Amino acid sequence: MKQAGWNAVGIAVFVVIVFPVFWMISTAFKPDDQIVSLNPTWIPLHPTIAHFTAALHKQYFWTDVKNSLLIVCITVAISIVLAFLAAVALARYRFSGRKAFVVLIIGIQMLPQAGLIIPLYVVLAKYHQTNQLSGVIITYMTFVLPFCVWTLRGFLIGIPKELEEAAMVDGSTRLGVFVKILLPLMGPGLVATSVFAFITSWNEYIFARVLINDQRKNTITVWLSYFLGTSRHTDWGALMAASTLTAIPVVVFFLLVQRRIAFGLTAGAVKG
Amino acid sequence: MKRRSIVALSVVAVLAAAVMTATSVASTKTATASSITVWLQVDAQSGWPDLVAAANKQFQSDHPGTTVNVQYQNWGDHLQKFDATLAGGGGPDVIEMGNTEMTKYMAAGAFADLSGNKASFDNSANWLSGLAKSGVYSGKTYGVPYYAGSRVVTYRTDLFSKAGIKKLPNSIAALTADAHKLLAKNKEKGFSPFYVAGEDWYAAMGFVFDYGGGIAQRVSGKWKGLLGSKASIAGLTAYKNFFYAASRAGKTATEGAPNPNPYDVYAQGLVGSMIGPSWFSCCVGAKYKGATAQFVMPGHVKGTSMPGFLGGSDLAVPITSGDKSLAADWIKDFTSTAGEKGLQAKGNIPNATNLLGASVNEKAASRSWFVPTAKHWVDVENGNILRNMLGQILTGKLSVKQAAQSASDNIASVLNQP
Amino acid sequence: MSAAAEAHSWSRRRRRFLERSTPYWLILPILVAIGVVLGYPLYWLARLSFKQYGLFELIQHRGPSVGFKNFRTVLHDSVFWHTLVRTIVFTVVNVGLTIVLGMLIALLLLRVSGWVRILLTSGLVLVWSMPVVVAVQLWFWMTNYENGVLNHVLSWVGATGEQHDWYATTFSQLSMVTLLVVWGALPFVVITLYAGLAQVPHDLLEAASVDGARPWRAFKDITLPILRPILLILTSLSIIWDFGVFTQPYLLIGQAKTQSGNYLMSTYLFEEGYFKTDFGRGAAISILMLLMVALISVFYVRRMVSIGQETA
Repeated sequence: MKQAGWNAVGIAVFVVIVFPVFWMISTAFKPDDQIVSLNPTWIPLHPTIAHFTAALHKQYFWTDVKNSLLIVCITVAISIVLAFLAAVALARYRFSGRKAFVVLIIGIQMLPQAGLIIPLYVVLAKYHQTNQLSGVIITYMTFVLPFCVWTLRGFLIGIPKELEEAAMVDGSTRLGVFVKILLPLMGPGLVATSVFAFITSWNEYIFARVLINDQRKNTITVWLSYFLGTSRHTDWGALMAASTLTAIPVVVFFLLVQRRIAFGLTAGAVKG
Repeated sequence: MKRRSIVALSVVAVLAAAVMTATSVASTKTATASSITVWLQVDAQSGWPDLVAAANKQFQSDHPGTTVNVQYQNWGDHLQKFDATLAGGGGPDVIEMGNTEMTKYMAAGAFADLSGNKASFDNSANWLSGLAKSGVYSGKTYGVPYYAGSRVVTYRTDLFSKAGIKKLPNSIAALTADAHKLLAKNKEKGFSPFYVAGEDWYAAMGFVFDYGGGIAQRVSGKWKGLLGSKASIAGLTAYKNFFYAASRAGKTATEGAPNPNPYDVYAQGLVGSMIGPSWFSCCVGAKYKGATAQFVMPGHVKGTSMPGFLGGSDLAVPITSGDKSLAADWIKDFTSTAGEKGLQAKGNIPNATNLLGASVNEKAASRSWFVPTAKHWVDVENGNILRNMLGQILTGKLSVKQAAQSASDNIASVLNQP
Repeated sequence: MSAAAEAHSWSRRRRRFLERSTPYWLILPILVAIGVVLGYPLYWLARLSFKQYGLFELIQHRGPSVGFKNFRTVLHDSVFWHTLVRTIVFTVVNVGLTIVLGMLIALLLLRVSGWVRILLTSGLVLVWSMPVVVAVQLWFWMTNYENGVLNHVLSWVGATGEQHDWYATTFSQLSMVTLLVVWGALPFVVITLYAGLAQVPHDLLEAASVDGARPWRAFKDITLPILRPILLILTSLSIIWDFGVFTQPYLLIGQAKTQSGNYLMSTYLFEEGYFKTDFGRGAAISILMLLMVALISVFYVRRMVSIGQETA
């Protein structure tokens, strides 16, 4: 198939997948009567930014954005570091208890989250971590870590040992090998994993909801839920505008790091 | 071998240490002398924040040095949050509960006994019986009525007059005839003369109670289901016939999110009239705001009104509160006569009969029904027994008799759980 | 031994000790973090599953011990078994769709021009960045009976005469949930596979095409083996996630219409255990669910562990 053909397929896939997102953004710009209309308005001819203004001015928006950013960045930073260390241990070392550790890592992901809500609240309450951002960070780390370890291990296994062994024969230490050889090759893997960790933490709802009571300490996802929680009229336009706004940091984060993935592809020849 | 056991031992040690520190006694009381926490629903935040502020001001002048921390909750998950605080501490001193949510928590001992403070609440001698009942368990008062809302019919005055309807219907038969007239004049696809979602159990149960039926009754200490009775079946059949004649909403649609709200369909011009809380009139769209009015839903007997579901909220003091008398004082300030009059001005039904006015909402409250005050009623609601029954009836999957009997037995078994 | 030789062997022993204990130091931080946070909840779940623990007991902070009664009630409940089977089928369908579609799109990403690639990946990240709560609302909106876009488009094509209620039967309810879950899962799978494809040596593929191998052969013999660890991981993770998925079915079907006919294990757990405040039962179901997932994924897990062991 020629390049143009592949491009056409790519664009078609893009349209189908992105349609709901497009619908959300276009709704954010529609005036109220077009939103609930039975004849859908595809592209608003008289776009309005009233919903965005309403969302931005709704109480605690900026505070909660700040909270979310803080929580997520710290969670991702710590998790990637800890997970990388453990992944190296799993992929490059033989040690007794390795199987047990692997089972533990996988096992945690199998825990049904609904069952953990109350006991997690109870234990954090005893450490005085409820209604604190640090309590939320610790909780998120616990759920994000196993996944990060697992994925990073997968990428590490894909990198042949010969590279490190060659470098060590050349005289560098084990640590030097990690920093100079493994880390760069792990670029794409680290990026994909940290994007996942970022998004999972950013979008998490139920634990942030239960652990935090003070509206000034909420995450942005909980803030969004206030649009839906009332038994009265839901302001759909403002909800869609607010959702569009909350998606922006994630997209920005990804655009910042996606160059690493592209770099990984062109540098793709992984060989001795 | 040795290494493996070291790893295993250290894992166990870490877990054990965590368990031991966590299970050590540490109670977390909520209110200190300097602050109380109040959980109200977001309806207050968007509807009457000024009333909350006024109550706080009054409270703070009575108790200088004590701050009020109001935290707004969503209906969807406020009970899960409350459960977590009951288990681990850190909960509110005052909590708003839906009147159907109260019984289960009262039976579990979640609230402080306010019987001693009852006299100090304004108008407590005249509390609306429907609301007050929801706050009483085993003769003790645990909940203070906050506000109520009944169900009314919101309708398009212009469509009614265009269809030649000269006076408002005074019976279900008259309303059904009006529906036919509306259908004759409005032929668009999906137009409902009377929009009611198929599984709107609030509306359907109104029919059941209107015919003298009921949901469940306590007989010699056990709950007996009433839906299988002749009267209830008559009511459900009447509902079914009315739905087929007058509503084009989904047969299995529920009355709330994520389905579109009736007022959204109304705002599209596809509804002649709809049943729901009186505040539905807020959101009928700019186009029809001037052509909208309300009337009380008629019963099947000419000149009577159909019993409407009296929804509402109570305020209670959780047993985990650190200072229950301060909490009771805040409730007193919030439900004062001035406060209740303020709520009335916003379209709600105030909590006492001596305050009632003549709005359609309040008139509809004169004949009302309420859910069985059973510990496990919440489980019936959450188990969607009534909704499913309506869906089965309207889609024809089961006959009215079969669906009603099965729902009745189901409800009885849920309510009779220990 | 001379002093110098002794010193040398001592430092060699110390280096060997460091060498051998390194992995333990590497995994210690994670063990501590997890232990501190999850230790008590796991103990709580285990303890509670053997107790009669409702709202009353929760408030009292103690409840009577009832042995295996909670487990017995659940295992004797036909709803539990129906739900289990339904969840397994649901998981197989979802994981299958996710991996296959994900692989296809990742391969597509390799073939398109740079600007289309950026367009597609940005689109995927946009999808990924949508909070599930919002995605559910959107999805319902697009598919609802009254004014949904889906019905509207289908009526253009003339496929449905009347408005179709996509939520009338439990089968179509769960189909809608499947569409939503797969849609939300694609970005991660595509991006991870794409990152993995980056590790496939370009010149190997070029050599194969020079030798005249057809693309499918090249894919099967060169790309797939290299991707095997990642595919294994993605599949096992997808199985675990899709088996326990909660937010999408719970919110899309709505609490009001969640019933035994459309329960998945997670909504069953939430409704029967926590919504009905029977915490002892909820704990028992949690533990049973954990065992089920473990059983179902044990095949993949063993493969993954053994792959690690042969290359490490």
